[in-house]
Amino acid sequence: MGLGTYVRNIRETLETIFEGMAITASHFVRKPFTIQYPDRTEIRVQDSLPFRYRGLLDVDLEICTGCLACERACPIDCIVIDAEKDKQTKEMILKRFDIDLAKCMYCGLCSEPCPTGSIHHTPEFEGADYSLESLVRRFVKAPLVAYKPPKGPETDPEVAPILARGLRYLDEFASPGDPKAGE
Amino acid sequence: MSTHAIDVDVLRETGQGIATEEMTLNMGPQHPSTHGVLRFVVKADGEVMRRAIPDIGYLHRSIEKIAEKVGYHGFMPYTDRVDYVSAMQCNQGWAMACEALAGIKVPRRGEYCRVIASEFGRLASHLLSVGATGMDIGAVTPFTHAIREREYINDILEELCGARLTFNYMRIGGCAWDLPPGFVGRATKFLDRFEPLIDEYNELISFNKIYVERLANVAVIPREMAIAYNLVGPNLRGSGVKYDVRKDAPYSVYPEFEFDVPVGTGERGTLGDSYDRYMVRMREMKESCKILRQALAGIPEGPVVAKVPRTFRPPVGEAYVRVEASRGDMGWFVVSDGTAFPYRVHIRTGSFAAMAIIEELSKGLMIADLVAVIATLDIVAPEVDR
Repeated sequence: MGLGTYVRNIRETLETIFEGMAITASHFVRKPFTIQYPDRTEIRVQDSLPFRYRGLLDVDLEICTGCLACERACPIDCIVIDAEKDKQTKEMILKRFDIDLAKCMYCGLCSEPCPTGSIHHTPEFEGADYSLESLVRRFVKAPLVAYKPPKGPETDPEVAPILARGLRYLDEFASPGDPKAGE
Repeated sequence: MSTHAIDVDVLRETGQGIATEEMTLNMGPQHPSTHGVLRFVVKADGEVMRRAIPDIGYLHRSIEKIAEKVGYHGFMPYTDRVDYVSAMQCNQGWAMACEALAGIKVPRRGEYCRVIASEFGRLASHLLSVGATGMDIGAVTPFTHAIREREYINDILEELCGARLTFNYMRIGGCAWDLPPGFVGRATKFLDRFEPLIDEYNELISFNKIYVERLANVAVIPREMAIAYNLVGPNLRGSGVKYDVRKDAPYSVYPEFEFDVPVGTGERGTLGDSYDRYMVRMREMKESCKILRQALAGIPEGPVVAKVPRTFRPPVGEAYVRVEASRGDMGWFVVSDGTAFPYRVHIRTGSFAAMAIIEELSKGLMIADLVAVIATLDIVAPEVDR
């Protein structure tokens, strides 16, 4: 290597380093990108997430029909439901509805076949806990009668808003939206 | 050919080098620059490697066997885990394989959504690759720049499908969800901001003299060797072979888009060196932006998913489909015996081929160059093992 090449190499190295450094330095006057999680955000991070966000699973037992569609759709069997048909009243009795959140992989396949939007993902994602046992969410505290959709619109003032939420969830998340969306 | 490779035996015979004893080194499995859990057994003479033997299997999760147990629909979230850096293309490969089995036709809007999702996935994957290349050879700042843009892409994909890494977006017969309201505008706005940043990134690191010296002429893969070792994707194109599944065996709606296939030119050294592979990825990002702009502008109306029964039972038969994933030609082979569960699934990935060439490439390289080789071959460990 001649002296000329040697000097040229040093010059090129310095020049290209300063080009890069100029870009780095320009970040002094640009808007910072970092968001300080969790305590310095303007709104809760959970509230800023998109509607389709797949966080921890939740079940609205008021509108669960006990059809077991979610249990069958789950590829890792993290949902366990015990439902029995009462011989006399012909009603479905839910005895157990457990979701093992430690197993759940948040794929969303369970909420797609749900007819009422009862099982759904919430924007909650902070699920850390001290034991695996406490990550098993047991939704049924005492055996209860499963929801039976009426022929017409829902009239019970307590169930109606929950069902409205469930159906909105199905519309916007679980089924392909209307073709006009995205404009 | 002027390369950095040093033949230890020649040095020893001519008495130029200091003869030292051969040393066996372990690199990995928990080494920060091995991109996952990879292990290399390095036989080295001082700083110069005689060979680096890759030891794979640390991330084997029996994904192909799982497919035989969970059925066709249930396997979709598992395909995200085959290559978690560019999960969209894995989704697409599995969906296309099942569609080929059952002869399902995807609606045109569904195909467009797939292309948009895949190309955003490719941008995210290449950003991680070029950022990690910089970090592996000692330039940490460019990595933060690359990851910053990748976060915005993750935001876009999160809005589309609700997850940032394991998307589970595609379904047999189309896509799970349509584009959310206002998606086209936001995605176009992102592209307007992102395209100039590729040039800025080039100025920041790609043309840096030290960086070029570390990559140029290192681990040269000549054209014939690349073909002989079955390299695919940007690694193959870095050696000057113009081969892209999207162009040469077109699938989905890719024939409708205009884009180039960048190949290595040997601009700073020899054709097929590490710098060529790196630059091919930088240029591919621009091409992905081109495809995205055309797809976002020309997306047709209609449904995004075809009618597919919830218990999917394809007829007896087998199908092999190929997609151009971020790490090259990804093959999906599925055999059906007519039941609701596949009889056999096999996945052919680009990283596995790239892993096989390392033993040959490493002869005579410095130990510090091994990380540059891994980084520019863009090896993702879970894709090697599956």
